[in-house]
Amino acid sequence: MKEIEELKLPDDIRYTDDHEWAKITGDTVLVGVSDYAQDQMGDVVFVELPAIGDTFAKGDEFGTLESVKAVSELYMPMSGEVIAVNTALADSPELINQQPYATWIVEIKPSDPSEYGQLHDAASYLQLLKG
Amino acid sequence: MATSLKTTPLHPWHVGRSANMAAFGGYEMPLWYPAGAKAEHLAPITAAGLFDTSHMAVLTLRGPLVRPLLQHCFSKDLDRCLGPRKTPLVPGRCVYGVFLDEAGCVLDDAIVYQCGETDYMLVVNAAMGAPVAAHLRRHNPDETRALVHDHSDALGKMDLQGPAAAKILARILRNPDQVFDRMVYFSFKGTFAPHLLPGAPVTLLDGTPVLVSRTGYTGEFGFELFVAPEHTTRLWQLLLEAGAPEGLLPCGLAARDSLRAGAGLPLSHQDIGPWLFADNPWLFVLPWDEDGSGFTKDFGGGRAVLAAGSAPCTLPFAGFDPRKIPLGAASKVTAPDGTVLGGVLTCTTDMAIDRVDGVIVSIATPVAGGRPESFAPRGLCCGFVRLDVPLPPGTEVLLTDGKRTLKVEIRDQIRPDRTARTPMATMLS
Repeated sequence: MKEIEELKLPDDIRYTDDHEWAKITGDTVLVGVSDYAQDQMGDVVFVELPAIGDTFAKGDEFGTLESVKAVSELYMPMSGEVIAVNTALADSPELINQQPYATWIVEIKPSDPSEYGQLHDAASYLQLLKG
Repeated sequence: MATSLKTTPLHPWHVGRSANMAAFGGYEMPLWYPAGAKAEHLAPITAAGLFDTSHMAVLTLRGPLVRPLLQHCFSKDLDRCLGPRKTPLVPGRCVYGVFLDEAGCVLDDAIVYQCGETDYMLVVNAAMGAPVAAHLRRHNPDETRALVHDHSDALGKMDLQGPAAAKILARILRNPDQVFDRMVYFSFKGTFAPHLLPGAPVTLLDGTPVLVSRTGYTGEFGFELFVAPEHTTRLWQLLLEAGAPEGLLPCGLAARDSLRAGAGLPLSHQDIGPWLFADNPWLFVLPWDEDGSGFTKDFGGGRAVLAAGSAPCTLPFAGFDPRKIPLGAASKVTAPDGTVLGGVLTCTTDMAIDRVDGVIVSIATPVAGGRPESFAPRGLCCGFVRLDVPLPPGTEVLLTDGKRTLKVEIRDQIRPDRTARTPMATMLS
């Protein structure tokens, strides 16, 4: 298990209480899970993804990550419509462990871009992890 | 982390290597190391893995009444248990069985080792040393002639498992040819403490006594190794260095659980436990007579097992992808129409297998046996269910936790092409 100091926490993305991250790319937002989340879960062996066109409110469950240890739900960091899913995860779920920030899970078109500002920045997320 | 958890001699090593630690059986144990549970599951199938199993408990028994005591308490008939001809247990051999209470319910499973004419060793599960010792003492007519000693927390134990295990172990033993000579499955040589337990002089190159047992809990070829606690970390490090060329990995409890489930082996107090030991895949541990109608001996719990009518039935299953159902009261087995059939005992993912045209194939399956040249298994959910009525292999049922529903198939076997019984000579060649 990584020490808190060993975790990578990029500061160009925002984080949720449930350890997802959100990254703005133009009009859309990429969503993944943090280094802390992947380290806690262990090897991810299966990813359940939503369908393109599904819409979710902030905090809704949109999929699951199956790790060796358990089934972990994924929650939306922002409200919006799924416009793309990372199909590479079907054959290579381990990408989430190997590159948690380069591996997005869904891309959404946010219905309320101001929700981004309500998420934790890296410093605030680090405080959350330190408890 | 709760301070009440016990630790093994290897605990500082695990923590120093950033293992993901968790409580198991009252001990803080590694779930996986940075290599991850998938690599640790695959290593003992393709090369070798090393597991810290010092949390397990060991009892030694000495005296002329030990054999009658074990015959009275242990499920295997020690006078008729070896090989197809059912010969008696002798020094150097060991057998797997269970201890039952008078109602036929499982106290624990165990391996009984015969070390000398009147010396035996018992290996039971974590935290079960004291309860099993107490059970034996209750049935012991004369403590002076059947001395029971509990070595819990006074022994180092590790499992070296995988097709490369013998080659690796040979590099650190003083006399590997002698040790491995005629070392069949479920036999052993040596002793971890010559003053406590008789045994052939098996030592590491530096003279450290070690008991080498050709057993394990992965379904793969390998050994369980026993040493005095002060030698545990050194043996662990010697093995990891010796096994580096083969890719030997330290492996945590997550891989141990997924490997044993795929091999069809029960976890005590999860797949067998305080319920009647009947209608399950492990009835071979009972002392069946020749025509299978009764037992060759009377033993604790035996009459209750024989008298049992139709009991709930425990069966292995395998799914169609890696997804699992969390264990718990909400998790049920149902028929395709939703009728509840029973509950889920174990549900994990064997990451070495997948289905090829519906047939389960392992990374260890030869190409001639049906493994595609490029085979990258995603893993299959597997484990054991306990059903109110028996179902034949091939029957499809649903597992549900109220949220997610998975289709799985009742099976005889789960992971094919396991190596546990492969002859020693084949593994050394």
